[in-house]
Amino acid sequence: MTRTESDVTQAFVSLTGRLAGGADVVELLTDLTADCVRLLDVSSAGLLLADARAVLHVMAASSERTRELEVFQVQRADGPCRDSYLAGTAISAPDLSQETARWPLFVPHARQAGFASVHALPMRMLGTRLGTLGLFGTEVGALSPADLGLGQALADVASVALVQDRTTSDQKLLNEQLQTALSSRVVIEQAKGVLAQQGEIDMVGAFRTLRLYARDHNQRLTDVARAVVGRELLGRQLLEHAAARRPTGR
Amino acid sequence: MSAQERLRDALGASLAGSGGPLAAATRLCQACVELLPVDGASISLTLDGTNRGTFGSSSPLSRHLDELQFTFGEGPCLDAAHSNAPVLVGDLHDPADSRWPAFTDAVLDSGVSSVFALPVRLSAQPVGALDLFRTAAGPLGEDALDGGLLAAELAAAPLLDLLAGHTDWEAAGQPDDGWLQLASLERLEVYQATGMIMAALDVDATEALVRLRAHAFAVDLTAGQVAWQIVERVVSLDSGDWQDRGESGASR
Repeated sequence: MTRTESDVTQAFVSLTGRLAGGADVVELLTDLTADCVRLLDVSSAGLLLADARAVLHVMAASSERTRELEVFQVQRADGPCRDSYLAGTAISAPDLSQETARWPLFVPHARQAGFASVHALPMRMLGTRLGTLGLFGTEVGALSPADLGLGQALADVASVALVQDRTTSDQKLLNEQLQTALSSRVVIEQAKGVLAQQGEIDMVGAFRTLRLYARDHNQRLTDVARAVVGRELLGRQLLEHAAARRPTGR
Repeated sequence: MSAQERLRDALGASLAGSGGPLAAATRLCQACVELLPVDGASISLTLDGTNRGTFGSSSPLSRHLDELQFTFGEGPCLDAAHSNAPVLVGDLHDPADSRWPAFTDAVLDSGVSSVFALPVRLSAQPVGALDLFRTAAGPLGEDALDGGLLAAELAAAPLLDLLAGHTDWEAAGQPDDGWLQLASLERLEVYQATGMIMAALDVDATEALVRLRAHAFAVDLTAGQVAWQIVERVVSLDSGDWQDRGESGASR
């Protein structure tokens, strides 16, 4: 791991700055999961958020590959992220091959996707459980205490990003805020589908196209996705924008 | 098990049984009257803010009250569906509240004093509302509102089945519990496939989900399984009937 103090500082400065600037929550949390992969000894990270019925939903992930997202999503039934959410504590599984009996649904899924270890960190706000940050590694082994501490700090930033009114102890208001965040994810997935079909691209490319358009037009990711789904903005426009950008991109 | 969990399970279980989506919606409305402090319940279907009709009710009176909203083209149900937020009217006698003059007069005449309309959503989009009626005036109360919101969530499952034109759940091997049905719809691949159908068939999000569900029934798969086939392009959306691509054709 070649993380430097300045990498960590930069990540937090960027996250908190955008948080204060009212950034799109899905976009911010997606970047936060990418920070996890960059700063911690893990190859994939995902944020699961619970709804009012305690069902976990994928809120953001470092990869938009549908099969990888499924490794997070399958934990509605069983898995370390679900256990971490229910217990409100960190759950470490440094060697998934030893855990099949504990999580019969999740372990085969995770191993098939190439993962060998998982660490799940709870997201909380004023004593209320919100969800989990799942950190997946392709090698067997436990994360260092320093990595776990930094991971928990990132999970705490994610909690802050999700709950706008942090003085509230009103469960209903909290649920509404989480529901709004989850609806953003629904509309983004739908918009990805539109772009994937029209542009004959995969979901990773569709997400990139959506993000690029939002960023270049200084719009929020969710607003662009909503416009695509509402057919106020044509998928073609986004695809053409991405194509036009390609020669000048890296 | 907490009281809230028991309520959750009882509402979910009310959808199980024979008779198709209309019967299931009616059972859900009856469960609301049994389990919540309300005297009547109905579920109406609205798309694009235009009321399409009542499709489940606890009693003929509740059905009538709900239908009044289509007659007059106004009412809390339409507003709840349109604004995608609950519309809670604790006292219809309140002269300060003049949002629905024709509807209010007719409802008061039938002895109902309060109406609570909760949006029913499919993929986060409002498609209808659950209306709860009470003869007594006064607020619904927090626990009852929570129960009503759970019922409104559940109402999405039979509503989608109705839209998909499916009337025989048993034949399609549907899970009994309403929550299981809902969970199969609330998956990332279902949302992604919905988007792909929108683009391929030039339909809106709700219509796309209806098509996906109808196709799932036709081929006896869950919505999630069909969604995977679409996302992974095992089936092509370009052909009108979503025929299998590749293997099945080649093997013949």
